[in-house]
Amino acid sequence: MADDKDVLRDVWFGRIPTCFTLNQDEVTEREAEPYYLLLPRVSYLTLVTDKVKKHFLKVMRAEDVEEMWFEYEGTPLKWHYPIGVLFDLHASNNVLPWSITVHFKNFPEHDLLHCPSNSVIEAHFMSSIKEADALKHKSQVVNDMQKKDHKQLWMGLQNDKFDQFWAMNRKLMEYPTEEGGFRYIPFRIYQTMSDRPFIQKLFRPTSPEGNAHTLGDLLKEMYPDALTNDGKSPHKGTRWVNTLRHSSYPTAYLSVISFGDGRK
Amino acid sequence: MGSWKSHVRAGLQQRDHKEKVPFVGVFTSLSELEDRFEIRAQILEDVQSDSFEVGEVGKNTRLLQLQLRESENLSGKLSQTVSDLTTVLHLKEAELQHWQSRVSQYRQEALSLAKGSNALKATLSELEFTVECQSKELAALRLEQKGLKEASGQACREKERLLQRWMEEKREEAERLNRFNDTQERFQHLAKRLKKHFQRRMKKERAPIAEKSPSAIHRINNVTDTHQGHSGYKHVSAAAKV
Repeated sequence: MADDKDVLRDVWFGRIPTCFTLNQDEVTEREAEPYYLLLPRVSYLTLVTDKVKKHFLKVMRAEDVEEMWFEYEGTPLKWHYPIGVLFDLHASNNVLPWSITVHFKNFPEHDLLHCPSNSVIEAHFMSSIKEADALKHKSQVVNDMQKKDHKQLWMGLQNDKFDQFWAMNRKLMEYPTEEGGFRYIPFRIYQTMSDRPFIQKLFRPTSPEGNAHTLGDLLKEMYPDALTNDGKSPHKGTRWVNTLRHSSYPTAYLSVISFGDGRK
Repeated sequence: MGSWKSHVRAGLQQRDHKEKVPFVGVFTSLSELEDRFEIRAQILEDVQSDSFEVGEVGKNTRLLQLQLRESENLSGKLSQTVSDLTTVLHLKEAELQHWQSRVSQYRQEALSLAKGSNALKATLSELEFTVECQSKELAALRLEQKGLKEASGQACREKERLLQRWMEEKREEAERLNRFNDTQERFQHLAKRLKKHFQRRMKKERAPIAEKSPSAIHRINNVTDTHQGHSGYKHVSAAAKV
């Protein structure tokens, strides 16, 4: 993994230029200026928008403020999806910067989960990490970790500390070939043209004959027209193991976006 | 190995070139300016509320206080950076230790594998020697087998020849016996006729001959019996042999 740090860094430091605008229906004391921010692809919206909240609260009255949520062209943005997934799902074709509308009222209960504090994001993040490790190593690695190791993973993501995060995440991405490697590949396929949240299936990294599966193998099986959500087209000949270890989100899930227009 | 990596890196760089590079400078500057503005606004507010001095001296004092607070703020930021760098340093040290332990582990593995390899090489050498010996032995045995096969073929041919000779001999013996039997039959037939003829003659000359020599008739009868008994034995023997 040490040799592959360039790839890991490129994935980690992916940024999306974003313009946050307050919804016109919000009651303000004076006109709210838009707020510009470079969002890290690998993080969560509610984790990196403290400044946005602070910026807009300056022009609002305290009694008009409820839970903050985000919307893009009428679609509420799910905070529990990584930012890169949200962008590729909803806005990858549009002109940059990505224009997100900020709301402080009328929380869409049916579409979004509440996020009252960062501990909720942490719980969701750790849950994903554990779920992915259950698929990869029967939870052996994550169970062997101590509480402080889990904390280090979370703090690494929260504070955007690549080295801190990968010092621990390296263990979760170990691929012990002598023990048969990963059991299953944790992946999720998000669909732009579907109401279903995402597709998730058990998929082994090797065929019964012992040949290494590639990303192309799965895409052929599930979706011929797909694009990974770190914003790059997958090298379909790349072995799953490499794809997962280098292109997955900090949640340890590899995310693939399926476009309805047949784009690859 | 390098193919997928270069492909992935090219894709990521292309993505960054489109999404990150054109905006990063402006966004970073904006963010820094906002931070600075916010800090200045805060500091100015504090300074204005604390200072009641007026005039040129008061203005200079406020300016100096502003600069001092800015410096303090900057110093705080630098302290934070130092703290972050120290953390990274600790992490790197831990990582270095990890990799050193891995290197040590791999070295041990390499040593044990080398030992195993040497043992396997020795075994291979021994086995090669055994194979060579056995190959030579096999070649000698094959040569011997060839000689024995030839001898066996020769013996078979000899046996066939002897069998043929024996059969020929037996055939000739049977023929001889048959000829003898025929002679014997003819002799007996002749003897019977002579006996009858002699008996007839004896009847005609009974009286004088009987008086002259009774032992002569007895002698003739004995000779005839002896011939009959001998030919009977030979006849059975020849038949059995044939």
